[in-house]
Amino acid sequence: MRRRDFLAGIGGLAVVGGGAVVATRSQTDESVEPVTVERIDADGDPAGDLRLPERGRPTLLTVFATWCSVCRRTMPEVVAVHDDAGDTQFVSVTNEAIGQTTTRADVADWWESYGGPWPVAVDTDLELTAAFDVRAVPHTVVLDSTNRIVYDEQGEKSAAELRDALASA
Amino acid sequence: MQRRSFLTSAAFLSGIAVAGCVGSGAEGGGGSEDTVLGPPDREYDVDPADLAYPAYGQPIPDFTLPSPLHDRAVSTREYVGERETLLTFVFTRCGGPCPAQTAALARTQAAAAEGGYADEVVFMPITFDPAYDTAGRIREFSEINGADPTAANWQFLRPETPERAKAVVGSESGFAVGFEEAEGGHGGHGGSPDQGEVLEPEAAGEEQSFVHTNLLLLVNRDGFVERAYSPQPPRPDIVITDLEAVREGYE
Repeated sequence: MRRRDFLAGIGGLAVVGGGAVVATRSQTDESVEPVTVERIDADGDPAGDLRLPERGRPTLLTVFATWCSVCRRTMPEVVAVHDDAGDTQFVSVTNEAIGQTTTRADVADWWESYGGPWPVAVDTDLELTAAFDVRAVPHTVVLDSTNRIVYDEQGEKSAAELRDALASA
Repeated sequence: MQRRSFLTSAAFLSGIAVAGCVGSGAEGGGGSEDTVLGPPDREYDVDPADLAYPAYGQPIPDFTLPSPLHDRAVSTREYVGERETLLTFVFTRCGGPCPAQTAALARTQAAAAEGGYADEVVFMPITFDPAYDTAGRIREFSEINGADPTAANWQFLRPETPERAKAVVGSESGFAVGFEEAEGGHGGHGGSPDQGEVLEPEAAGEEQSFVHTNLLLLVNRDGFVERAYSPQPPRPDIVITDLEAVREGYE
């Protein structure tokens, strides 16, 4: 736990409902090893394994949950970025509990209401959650074409901030 | 001790007991005789005895509370001797970390079902807002956060009254999870980074914030705390990994 996280935790406690921005982890010079998530059938996309991040182009990853109202608000911002982002891998992944009261069909429905024209997947084995240290949602990660993390943040994001992040990728 | 100072100290201490820190356990051993897992990595060397809430190696207190989804009373130590127990402390109007804590339990519940050990573990979210959290709201809150509220292992406990909630959840003879109503009573929920679904957020006049300590407890089948995750909701894969390690310790 870095000092920044520690302080953010205390801050978060003190201002429940406040507008704290929590930076998650330091950027590193290391490339991220790809992980496999379960792509689900939404908007006519086929189900199956999906590997990310891809090499050779930037990646914008959003981790969300269908229960998360901030995720719902953030998604249109990501859609706006997607519309003029050029050659970038966009992918959104939920790590929530699937198969009990929330089903894959619920995720697909949520995605058709709020998502964008890119793959949506489930972190079935929590491999991505562990690899990207996802402690809360929404969680947004931008990686450059060599799979190095250039942006790694929790919380609500604006299109402008995400564009800046992609510009640095 | 005054309520406010108690809350402040509980919040501060819970901040120190951060789970999953980078620093290695500087205690040099310090493992408990009553646990499977070794001591948690902490940034600072903290004696669990100095923490207000039940921390690593300590027993959990025993309270019998209504479990409205199952229409019976359940003790916080009911499954000691049989199962691992995971507890957390929430209120359903919470726009902050409560949905995330509940979702982490739900994710673990799903893993237990997949792993064939659903009847060897029990989940006990406890509300500290019983005035608002009716059985119906508890069921809905459980469902939207991905739990199966009909499962026998999902025991969402509801103290009978706010006073009882104070005694069980908030007091130092209880779980010592500090909470109090936020200043002004109608705190916004808008920007907390890890929030989830606020139950009935548009219900005029019913919005209420509590400032509270975030705590999720993994308790072994002997009734001792293996991990006390605080102050941020734990990553679900870490909870599942820790739970399965504890289970293996009993095989």
